[in-house]
Amino acid sequence: MFSRMVRNGSLRLVCWVVMFSLTPAVAWAQNHPKDTEWPSYAADTAGTRYRPLDQINASNFSDLEIAWRIKTDNFGDRPEYKLEGTPLMVNGVLYATAGSRRAVIALDPESGELLWIHGEHEGKRGGAAPRQLSGRGLAYWSDGVDERILYVTPGFRLICLDAKTGQRVPSFGENGVVDLKRHDDQEIFPDLETGEIGMQSAPVVAKDTVMVGAAFREGMTPKSMRNNKGYVRGFDVRTGRRLWIFHTIPRKGEFGYDTWLNGSAEYTGNTGVWTQISVDEQLGLVYLPVESPTSDFYGGHRHGDNLFGETLVCVDLKTGERKWHFQLVHHALWDMDISSAPILADITVDKKPVKAVAQPTKQGFLYVFDRVTGKPIWPMPEKPVEVGTVPGEWYSHTQPIPSKPPAYNRNGVSIDDLIDFTPALRERAKEIASKYHLGPVYTPPTVSKLEGPLGTLTMGTASGGTNWPGGSYDPETHVVYVYACNSCIEPIGLVPAPKDISDLNYIAGVAGRDVQIMRGPGENAGADSPKPPKKRPASQYVRLDVDGLPLVKPPYGTISAINLDKGEIVWQIPHGETPDVVRNAELLKGMNIPRTGQETYNVGTLVTKTLVIAGEAQVTTTADHPRGAMLRAYDKATGKEVGAVYMPAPESGSPMTYMIHGKQYIVVAVSGGPYSGEYIAYTLPSAGE
Amino acid sequence: MKISWLGVAVIVSSFCFLRAQAPAETRSVWDGVYTEEQAKRGEEVYQKECAACHGDMLTGGESAPPLTGGAFQANWNGLSLSDLFDRIRKTMPQSKPGRLTRQQDADVLAFLLNINKFPAGKTELYRQSEMLKEIRFEAKKPAKN
Repeated sequence: MFSRMVRNGSLRLVCWVVMFSLTPAVAWAQNHPKDTEWPSYAADTAGTRYRPLDQINASNFSDLEIAWRIKTDNFGDRPEYKLEGTPLMVNGVLYATAGSRRAVIALDPESGELLWIHGEHEGKRGGAAPRQLSGRGLAYWSDGVDERILYVTPGFRLICLDAKTGQRVPSFGENGVVDLKRHDDQEIFPDLETGEIGMQSAPVVAKDTVMVGAAFREGMTPKSMRNNKGYVRGFDVRTGRRLWIFHTIPRKGEFGYDTWLNGSAEYTGNTGVWTQISVDEQLGLVYLPVESPTSDFYGGHRHGDNLFGETLVCVDLKTGERKWHFQLVHHALWDMDISSAPILADITVDKKPVKAVAQPTKQGFLYVFDRVTGKPIWPMPEKPVEVGTVPGEWYSHTQPIPSKPPAYNRNGVSIDDLIDFTPALRERAKEIASKYHLGPVYTPPTVSKLEGPLGTLTMGTASGGTNWPGGSYDPETHVVYVYACNSCIEPIGLVPAPKDISDLNYIAGVAGRDVQIMRGPGENAGADSPKPPKKRPASQYVRLDVDGLPLVKPPYGTISAINLDKGEIVWQIPHGETPDVVRNAELLKGMNIPRTGQETYNVGTLVTKTLVIAGEAQVTTTADHPRGAMLRAYDKATGKEVGAVYMPAPESGSPMTYMIHGKQYIVVAVSGGPYSGEYIAYTLPSAGE
Repeated sequence: MKISWLGVAVIVSSFCFLRAQAPAETRSVWDGVYTEEQAKRGEEVYQKECAACHGDMLTGGESAPPLTGGAFQANWNGLSLSDLFDRIRKTMPQSKPGRLTRQQDADVLAFLLNINKFPAGKTELYRQSEMLKEIRFEAKKPAKN
């Protein structure tokens, strides 16, 4: 064991290496089949979250026990309660990001023993980062000799590590680092240290190219219509040299520039790819799910369709050149960032093989395209949508609506969606809803008025639907499995922006209340963060519930199985125990309420040979288990629950699986409430136990 | 029957010892464990120090969980109030944990109880974690005896 400290300008690198012999793992690796590994964030670069393992199956899932666990409290200067990572397991070693420092750890996948740890102390740059904490994961690359781990720090630097030692690879970039605030075809303002741009997702590696997107602060209450732009770049995984860049906001003369009226492409920012990128290595094509432009709910300073905002873009792996694109939402007004990895699927439609890409979304549409041509598999006609009345806003009069498959979660709010356990509850819910503007998908935001409406009541918008965990895909049966929140209500109202807060005409808010700048995930939460700004007291507190019960009726959260050959939902089930607040409600005593599922947006699924596996993201206390959450397994053919195992806290990162020395493991990140981050590995008891 | 007085003494003293060691959880959040005045002070602290992440309506956001409603209450159900106090004291505000005084933390906790519709009482919430151990966080109102 030894420790090493290296001074590198203002950035301090601390790398502790606890090296044990990896010889047995390397020897094992020479004979292992790839299906037993998890070498990329989503299992592979096709975004499937699928491994055809079956040692853990319906007959024994409930027998799972904890093989090992590791708390992440000490991988940063404070504990983290929002651990969202999915580890990798490749070549006999498990790798993960962990803790408020976003350290990288290497573990023995059978025992959880720490092999090495790497951490970057970024000082003010890390503290000012828009996306802090441990992030979602990392990438692995090998040419058969070298093995490398790549990840992006909170301060937006791409780090390349030797997978065997955890040390930076000196030949990559500058001493193992590419400063992502440079080489970006833009000057990051106000400066490299505090300029708003970062990333919490995992980089993706295909062939010899490592690709990274960009993320920003929460976009509901931006300080300015101007911001840095979220371009996507590919780098040489051997040298760190930039190979290509794709301008997600076109520059003058580039395709799509004219979809930004009045020169708004010049100053508008964001429009990054903050979630996972998918790649078809054989076709040499990369699929970029692009988020919203600056200002989630008000587009009055960026008239036009705003390509490539909320657009699925296909680019060439070698050059970054655009091959095709499809804008899912014209002129974004609902924060419908494309939020998860595109799923690459080889399917059969009308007896013809099709190389497809399926995109889960917050709005609950699964958009399916031919991934070579970009042509929709089933028609997506432009349909008229409501045009709003917010002063200065520009509206698209139509949006593309997939004809197949049908929406798999609620993406609008109507009276029929409201709670209906009793007529009295429905009436009270109607009274609350009457203060808002209601409507189907793409009902635009309103200006918030005290006399009403306070805003537009939406579902399938900012939270989703399907958010960052995305879906899973079974390449054998051509079925997508996807979790969605079916009750995540978002009231979207706009208020004139106080000039001392923002230069936009309108930002998100509620009439009669002080404007509150909302912070992004992990912002000001990681190591080295500054203190938050002062805030004036508010005057009233209104909850969008009825006596603590959800405003809308169950199911609150679902898992859907969608057959891509037919474009049909095969089954849909509520996922998650009925929340305590519903199960214990005096008002509902004596009523027989089937399992409702839970209101949450961050459940990731895993698919194996026979099972769909997903944890609960809310805590419950039931007769069957103490306060905690369950990791549940469903028969993937029917959706029937076949087993469950207790977790001490909710699933906060998507589960993964691997097999080593004849044993299958499932690893899941848990955290939340009183429970700080922890990776837990489950396996079956050894024979004879 | 022959009684061993030594044995009785051991049993009695053991019982007394166990009683002394047992957690003295005699109250719950339904027993009026904070005052309205304290909750008002807590509201001011909350809006200044906490609302940027948890929202001015305590409904949370992507960056921080809600501090009101069913999911929040389920998270803490069955634990002691000292667990929630310690979570605030040791990890909040996230930008600089421990920056607030114990009194401010206790006031914020009183505000959270108030917003979650637990009743106010006549005495203020303790500002020491050890003393808060006796107060149980019960999401569901206990049935009257």
